[in-house]
Amino acid sequence: MLNKLRISGVLLILGLVVEALSLCWNTALSFMSFVVIGGLFFASGVLLFLYSLVSAKPSVE
Amino acid sequence: MISPETLVFVLIGASILLALVVVIRPSITASREGKVIAFLALFIVPVVTAGVGASEHMERSEQTQFCLSCHIMEPYGKSLYVDDPAYIPAAHFQNHRIPADQACYTCHTDYAMFGTIQAKWEGLHHVYVYWFGTPMNPIRLYHPYNNRECLHCHAGARSFEDSTHMAMMDDLKANKISCTTSGCHDTFHNVDKLGEVKFWKPLE
Repeated sequence: MLNKLRISGVLLILGLVVEALSLCWNTALSFMSFVVIGGLFFASGVLLFLYSLVSAKPSVE
Repeated sequence: MISPETLVFVLIGASILLALVVVIRPSITASREGKVIAFLALFIVPVVTAGVGASEHMERSEQTQFCLSCHIMEPYGKSLYVDDPAYIPAAHFQNHRIPADQACYTCHTDYAMFGTIQAKWEGLHHVYVYWFGTPMNPIRLYHPYNNRECLHCHAGARSFEDSTHMAMMDDLKANKISCTTSGCHDTFHNVDKLGEVKFWKPLE
């Protein structure tokens, strides 16, 4: 699970970096970069995080 | 006063820092507080940040600079500087009858309930066609220009309410007579004639 969290975090950080870079320009290309590349990183990061939650083994109290 | 753009960058920076905490020390999720931090860092905050970024991009897509960033739109941008008052877009742009930084959006958005949404959707379609398809040549409007977009500003204006316009107001509202193709105001971008006209140079 920890590994999934780490990968999820990295994917989200990449998505955020793409978002920041895309906001440095005001062109159709930067908008498409945000939607396609940034969106892909965001979606995969969030989905991986949610998957890590549901696939986690219950902790023994 | 912090600009929305600065706020987005601050939010992005904070999100990255928060996500980094989990990336560097994922073991914090062993505790209840760590789980909450991870949920915020890897779900709530990035989703909010992406939403705010998307909203900022949507705002920016209304700007003239954005529309003209596609190579195919360059002549239309150039036509805004034609030194001839008969050119309707140029006259509106140069005299700030429309916001100069949102010139395309102001005239090419439907002033109806879902006009903004439709404009964004069509904009996405334009971007898709530009990158993955074949743009129509010459560019044409999807529908005949609706008088509603002209009347949105001109109706009620003193300069507009003369006997000529008032006599045909019902027909104008019903689109039975077109503002743009009835021979009254029919000179628009005319990009194929740009080589034959003079251009206005704004003072810096």
